[in-house]
Amino acid sequence: MERSIIKCLDNISEVASVRGCLLADEQGLCLGVRGGISPQSSGVITALSQQAGLLEPHSTKHPVVILENDFRQCYIHGNGKVVTAIQKTAAS
Amino acid sequence: MNRVTVVFRESFVGGEVSERTHLLVDPVSNNTNIQRVQSDDFIGCYSTSLPKKTDEQSALNRILQETATNVIDVAASDSHNLEQHEYLDRVKHYTQKLQSMSRWTPPRRPPCLLVDIPAPEKLLAAEPLTEQDLHLITTAIEEADAALVELRVEHKEDLVVPFRIP
Repeated sequence: MERSIIKCLDNISEVASVRGCLLADEQGLCLGVRGGISPQSSGVITALSQQAGLLEPHSTKHPVVILENDFRQCYIHGNGKVVTAIQKTAAS
Repeated sequence: MNRVTVVFRESFVGGEVSERTHLLVDPVSNNTNIQRVQSDDFIGCYSTSLPKKTDEQSALNRILQETATNVIDVAASDSHNLEQHEYLDRVKHYTQKLQSMSRWTPPRRPPCLLVDIPAPEKLLAAEPLTEQDLHLITTAIEEADAALVELRVEHKEDLVVPFRIP
């Protein structure tokens, strides 16, 4: 029953330099995870995405939150129904 | 016909008392020349209000007095001259105060969050997200959205099973 979600996760993790990805629903429930991301972080990721959206409440676009350090980056993007987090090695 | 000459102010000429001398002495300024207005014109306009002539006169006097108390004549006021020693004393006093102020430093504010980054402006000015990455994440979210719609329960076997106990 979750075939399409698994397929989506596989598609994302096949991209070069992606170390992990996570899908969560609007309430923070982890729908699927690949790679180095912990499933317990789905709540935090969803909350981050929602809080970032509050910065511009009248905007039609959803923000992309980027967490980065010297060697890794994490992109978090939500569209109100589902939240995606992609962890990548930092571009040189 | 009665005639009342209304005189506002005039510089004092000689000492003769006539119909033109002031009824009120102006205590503030002696050097403003104001036109005289003959009251014949007034009387002509307000001929019906003749019984109130004394009221008019007192009203005018009252206005004059109010103006005299409220007007501040800057030109006529005495200037405050500093004597030389007083002036030098003040100069010394002020320079002393200014010298003690040179050790003043602005109050220490709590450190900002970016203290560990040596060049925050470079970091913040750099492009945050490449086009490729943006494309990746937006397609990922679109696929995930579509996948979520297809998420459904597949009925494989009954949930409630009767126990057949003989």
